[in-house]
Amino acid sequence: MDASETLRLSVRSLRAHKLRATLTVLGVVIGIAAVVTFATFGASLEADVVSEIEGSSANEIYLVPAAEEEGGFPDAGQPVFTEYDLEQLRAVAGVERVVPRGIVQVTALTAGEETVARNRVTVTEASAFEAATFADGRAFRDGRQEAVLNCPAAALFAGNLSAGDRLTVTLQSGERENVTVAGVVDGTGGQLPFSAFSDRPRVFLPADPFSRTVVESPTVGVNQRVCPQVTVVADPSQTTAVQDRVEGYVTSERSDAARLRPAGYEIRARTNADLVDRIERVVERLTRFVTGIAVIALVVGAVGIANIMLVSVTERTREIGIMKAVGARNRDVMGLFLVEAVLLGALGALVGVPLGVAGGWVATRYAEIGLVLAPGWFAVAVVVGVGVGAVAGLYPAWRAARVDPIEALRYE
Amino acid sequence: MTEGTDEAGVASAAVDGEPSDDVVVCSDVTKTYDGARTVVALEDVSLSLSSGSYTAVMGPSGSGKSTLLNLVGGLDTPTAGTVAVDGRDLATLSEAQRARHRGETVGFVFQTFNLMPRLTAAENVALPLVFLGRDRKERGTRAEELLADVGLADRADHLPAELSGGQRQRVAIARALVADPALLLADEPTGNVDTGTGDRIMAEFDTLHEAGNTVLLVTHERRIAERAERIVHVRDGRVREVESV
Repeated sequence: MDASETLRLSVRSLRAHKLRATLTVLGVVIGIAAVVTFATFGASLEADVVSEIEGSSANEIYLVPAAEEEGGFPDAGQPVFTEYDLEQLRAVAGVERVVPRGIVQVTALTAGEETVARNRVTVTEASAFEAATFADGRAFRDGRQEAVLNCPAAALFAGNLSAGDRLTVTLQSGERENVTVAGVVDGTGGQLPFSAFSDRPRVFLPADPFSRTVVESPTVGVNQRVCPQVTVVADPSQTTAVQDRVEGYVTSERSDAARLRPAGYEIRARTNADLVDRIERVVERLTRFVTGIAVIALVVGAVGIANIMLVSVTERTREIGIMKAVGARNRDVMGLFLVEAVLLGALGALVGVPLGVAGGWVATRYAEIGLVLAPGWFAVAVVVGVGVGAVAGLYPAWRAARVDPIEALRYE
Repeated sequence: MTEGTDEAGVASAAVDGEPSDDVVVCSDVTKTYDGARTVVALEDVSLSLSSGSYTAVMGPSGSGKSTLLNLVGGLDTPTAGTVAVDGRDLATLSEAQRARHRGETVGFVFQTFNLMPRLTAAENVALPLVFLGRDRKERGTRAEELLADVGLADRADHLPAELSGGQRQRVAIARALVADPALLLADEPTGNVDTGTGDRIMAEFDTLHEAGNTVLLVTHERRIAERAERIVHVRDGRVREVESV
């Protein structure tokens, strides 16, 4: 019996019970769609996070204190790097630039008659903007009452702030500082991790004079300004070597950071590649877990196929007897039922994949991230659908093949 | 069997010891069914059917006549003894070869027609050819021919449910003949139709016999059995009498 004939006969028996076939396929559709939705969402989430980090260049090393335990997340709120540390880091071979970064708590920004509530601004040095593109104006100068905004921050105010405008920053203490907008920075490139210039409003002030956090440097014994994060820009040809050297310094007792770090914290030197790696691993693990749960739905779909195929074998016992009486071999009968089950699974996959992509699209819309398709998963879904049908259909088909034709012809 | 006489003769000689052009040779066939107690359906039955013969097996229900038909048709295997059809001992065939035997060497006609409910008349007729792997074009032509032979050319696209009992049985006869079998097996072919229709169906068998087909018919009705050339009387699993008509 040739394959096309097997297919034709199988399709015909499925069409004879449309509602039943549809409901069975629905079970598979839900399973496959769930898997594809979560896989698509996971891939989109990963791509979103990774692209945000990869926006900045590969020769940057981020220093930040982090909780010591495995997977402990960086804590940008622990000021440990003193001015002495910055000087020492600048002296490390292969280091091109060292940019400190911190946060100042504020309550509001005022321009003209307009006041906008904000709870934090970033303090850094002018060197942070060396590789940045400005939509308007230029970088602030260290030691001046100046500020740099990114485009979303400029847009917080009616008519968009631009270079030369006056801005009043209300600190948490209630103090008000008047600054001049030096420039509006554009794009997502730049020297700070986690896309400091990205789509959320950011206001940058010079650490000198706005960073007020000071501590006595354990090494030199005088009060110095401290910051919680440092970006070291390395000579691109020796990023890895510089990373080792910088890490060697900040983790040794020679550095203030190592001595100022709170108990249970360590200082880490990470590159973008490290960050991307870690985040990818976390997101992947999450995706796999959630997708694994969705696989349960697929198993339920498979049980549905097995169930309906068993019913079908019983119902069609007499037909099986007739086919055998007119020359069907066991494998012909088995083939017919197996193809039916595979068709149910494949149909479920074909409908489930687009539905899952649609589900993924809705989820990414909801999470406000870009949609990234995971075509590998589509192939997996179709293969799994067919496989689910085959596995679920195997036992019923085997039962059908073993039907005794004499018994079957007597069957009413 | 004009050209192949020698070869067929040798083959059947291996079974019954003398050259013949017998299509079916049953030698000392016993069939028992094991259950709560062992039921003997056939006991030491020997029977030969020569090519072109028309034989009726007659007996009350439970006499073992259907079992005999199933053994010759390759639907069942004997407990003891041999059944050879067309020179081949069916017990030596694999499952796939026996399936081929059912599709190619014999043609079945059943009391309850046994048509596939979702296939049209033409598709039902062509079904044995599907399992023999014949191409679609050949199947179509062959089904058309045979439906025309049984007078149902205009019913080719009808489903069995849309046909009368007599028409269904004629479709079944066409299906039995589609692969040009050596032997036609009929199990109470008139059992589910009225007398008039039954007569027309039996007339169909007469025609087939006249055309040279070998026919083995099972019935419990003397009136039907009398249309054959000889009647084999079976009771309690044994052949009691062979009567020439």
